[in-house]
Amino acid sequence: MMEDNVMIGLEIHAYLNTKSKLFCSCGTKVEEAEPNSLCCPLCLGHPGSKPVLNEKAVELAIKIGYALNCEINKDFFFSRKTYFYPDMSANYQITQYEVPVCGKGSLKLNDGKKIGITRAHLEADPAALTHPDGIGKSSHTLIDYNRSGMPLIEMVTDPDLISAKEAREFLRTLENILSYLDVLKPNTTMKVDCNISINGGNRVEIKNVSGFAAAEKALNYELARQKQDVRAGKKIEQHTRMFNADTGKTIEARKKETEEDYGYIFDPDLVSVSMGAGELQRIKEDMPELPQQKSIRFQKSHGINEYDATVLCSEKALGDLFESLVDKYADAKITAKLLTRELLAILNHDSLEFADVKLDVNKLFDLIVLSKEGKVSDKNVKQAMINYISGDKSSPKEYLEKNNMLISEEIDLNEVVAKIFEENSNAIDEYKNGNEKVMNFLAGLVMRETKGAVSPTKVQELLKLKLEK
Amino acid sequence: MVLKETLKYFAEQARNDFSAAEENLHKIILELKASENKGLNYIETYDEENVRAQLAQLKSREKKGRLFGVPITVKDAICVKGVESKAGSKILAGYKPQFDATVITKLKEEGAIILAKTTQDEFGFGTFSTNTEKVPKNPFDNERSCGGSSGGPAGFTAYTSRYHGALGESTGGSIACPSSFCGVTSLTPTYGLVSRYGLIDYANSMDKVGSVGRNIDDASLLLEIISGKDEKDSTNLGEEFIADEGPTQKVAIIKDFFDNCDDSVKKVVQAKIDKMKEFIQVDEIELPLNIKYSLAAYYIIATSEASTNLAKLSGLRYGKQSDPEGKHFDEYFSEIRSESFTEEAKRRIILGTFARMSGFRDAYYLKAMKVRTKLINEFKSAFSKYDLLLTPTMPIVAPKFDAIEQLTPLQNYAMDLCTVPANLAGLPHASCNAGMHNGLPVGLMAIAPHLGEPRLYSFGRIMEMK
Repeated sequence: MMEDNVMIGLEIHAYLNTKSKLFCSCGTKVEEAEPNSLCCPLCLGHPGSKPVLNEKAVELAIKIGYALNCEINKDFFFSRKTYFYPDMSANYQITQYEVPVCGKGSLKLNDGKKIGITRAHLEADPAALTHPDGIGKSSHTLIDYNRSGMPLIEMVTDPDLISAKEAREFLRTLENILSYLDVLKPNTTMKVDCNISINGGNRVEIKNVSGFAAAEKALNYELARQKQDVRAGKKIEQHTRMFNADTGKTIEARKKETEEDYGYIFDPDLVSVSMGAGELQRIKEDMPELPQQKSIRFQKSHGINEYDATVLCSEKALGDLFESLVDKYADAKITAKLLTRELLAILNHDSLEFADVKLDVNKLFDLIVLSKEGKVSDKNVKQAMINYISGDKSSPKEYLEKNNMLISEEIDLNEVVAKIFEENSNAIDEYKNGNEKVMNFLAGLVMRETKGAVSPTKVQELLKLKLEK
Repeated sequence: MVLKETLKYFAEQARNDFSAAEENLHKIILELKASENKGLNYIETYDEENVRAQLAQLKSREKKGRLFGVPITVKDAICVKGVESKAGSKILAGYKPQFDATVITKLKEEGAIILAKTTQDEFGFGTFSTNTEKVPKNPFDNERSCGGSSGGPAGFTAYTSRYHGALGESTGGSIACPSSFCGVTSLTPTYGLVSRYGLIDYANSMDKVGSVGRNIDDASLLLEIISGKDEKDSTNLGEEFIADEGPTQKVAIIKDFFDNCDDSVKKVVQAKIDKMKEFIQVDEIELPLNIKYSLAAYYIIATSEASTNLAKLSGLRYGKQSDPEGKHFDEYFSEIRSESFTEEAKRRIILGTFARMSGFRDAYYLKAMKVRTKLINEFKSAFSKYDLLLTPTMPIVAPKFDAIEQLTPLQNYAMDLCTVPANLAGLPHASCNAGMHNGLPVGLMAIAPHLGEPRLYSFGRIMEMK
């Protein structure tokens, strides 16, 4: 069967980390506020109120633009997007249409594939609707205008993504860059609208997907659904669907309006913004180190390989942890290995995110020192990490000590090997008949007998000596 | 020299002797009540207790101010904190703003008393102040219109004999038109000179708060006070007006506009211009693009903006409300909007929504925005030759209400021909009385380049020379 030609484009909405809202001086700590306590006449759409642009939001948007290799429009303006909905206090949204703050750009995935960025623009968030007894079940809907006017950046990709997995990979990469930039409001989830079409068919938009895992799930479901429709000979109509995170399904919402149907006009309450060359230069100079730059620096100054450096930089906190360890003169290669192999393998295995675990730099440092000094086997390093991440209060070092898992000078290796030989005389014969794998088998037995508290190299040496005698 | 009939003179008296303020206020309240009893309908909202409280506050005030004790009436569309402000619309019944418009703050700082909110066409949609429930009547002939949309401010200014000033608002001529019909003097500033913060919008890219007075000195004093920097309005220019003489050596009458006026109007205006020729050179000029395209461009842009401004009025958080029980939200707000908006508001919402909708946006809204630039350029080139451009303010004298009823919407919009071009271009203009025709005032309007308000002040002084 021919592979389906899948095209996925994403629209990602994220809250910018500003002290005040996009067009008024109301604060943005909505998570701490009583409903409808962080709003002013503008947030409420009162006649006579007027918007004034928050310059900090512009600065953050431009930083995002630079990080996504976008062309920055030094002159841009805001538009009114009109539609009637109770969460929209003015029944129009102030957003950007013809000329957004950031134009075309691109973002490179870890595998080197470039995903096109169509644009990134600023817009004001509508209010939040709450349904006290759940959607469809409540007798009434409540509106919290605290969210009205919160500063959003909307980043739009070209339809360059070809699978749900790649979409998730893109979102991870994007999130990582944004966390390096430190421009997003902490503890908020990005909302994603996913546009998907197969084999050049009509585009279906899945709205309001919260988070990356959900995006992957929604896209997978939608892909399967569309494929099924196509196989059944149905034509895909252009429309909008809603993702239900509980069921993992997408539900048809409405026939999609095109953007033009929103009757955009220039917002005549605002003037077009002109960024001076000096101002842009200042923002550029204020850009922090980004993942790619950091990866190159790690390779150069710590002598670690490209793969490890890329992995370390693919999550800001992970890179930071690496840096704080090597700043204490931990061995860079061992540290990189511990973090990129052992740690991430455990996290993957337990479906944990890096942010889910609390790691103490000093405790990790002790473990790395033990490893560097040859006092612990790799296997036991791993075991100690598993134990540590599982939430054991003792440090990896304490755990290793407690369980006699450190390489001990006191164990008489000769004695152990002699014992193993005695119990496995068959194996020795097999070895002599040319089965070299027996060596590893015997080494394993020795390690088990000593609980790994001996140097694997020494075991190998001793075994070889004895077997070839 | 401070003329006795000016607000400047009065405020000085009041600063020295508070009883002057008390007496003037007392008398103007009597006049206000009399006008209401006669059904002249200049007043939209009046709260005597509030007014007396303001007077009492003034008495103990340290800083007195340039408008000390001066009663000011303001067009209903200008927000006054805690006072019902509904821009002449039923849908905003009960809306009491939580803040003062910047112009109100400035007036209060100078010791003015906000006397009343005055009547207007709903949201400024009109030329005769007839598109509202309370229709103001022309003080010269009660069967005739005050003009619009700032009919109440101009009507009351002409009606009262006491010291008083008024604030109006103009989008396409809404200050100049009623000034002409009521025989008073007005200044409509450069777009952005006066803060729009607290102004209930008609078409934001053209809305301007301006002043109405009995003479150019009063209108200028008010404009001096309300102009200036305001960070709450992004379109504010940060400039201040100072009533100083500006150049008026070379002026030209706009022939295309003049030719379109009634003979009665032409006669009065021509006579006044002939008189002015004793002091200054008056040429003729043509503005062919403006005469041809400004009305169309204006109505497309203004209604496009208005249709988005009015979207917020949905009976949800303020203004008129009804029982939502059993109604889907769109049924609810459709019902409130259908009941509350006048025919004219509905017409403009439909026109504006059409002009910016998919498939028509390029041909109408965007085209009109481009045309606007060309029209501004035509004015600019005219101002490279002339200090001021003149036109009759309105092509007619104040019409009778029954005649207005006969007008088609298009004929109605065409009445704005002389006032719309300057408004669309954001140019400041003054309307002064040029004389009378059959007992009805005829206005002459001067248009200045951007921030050329001092020229208008000089023009007003010339117009008022005996």
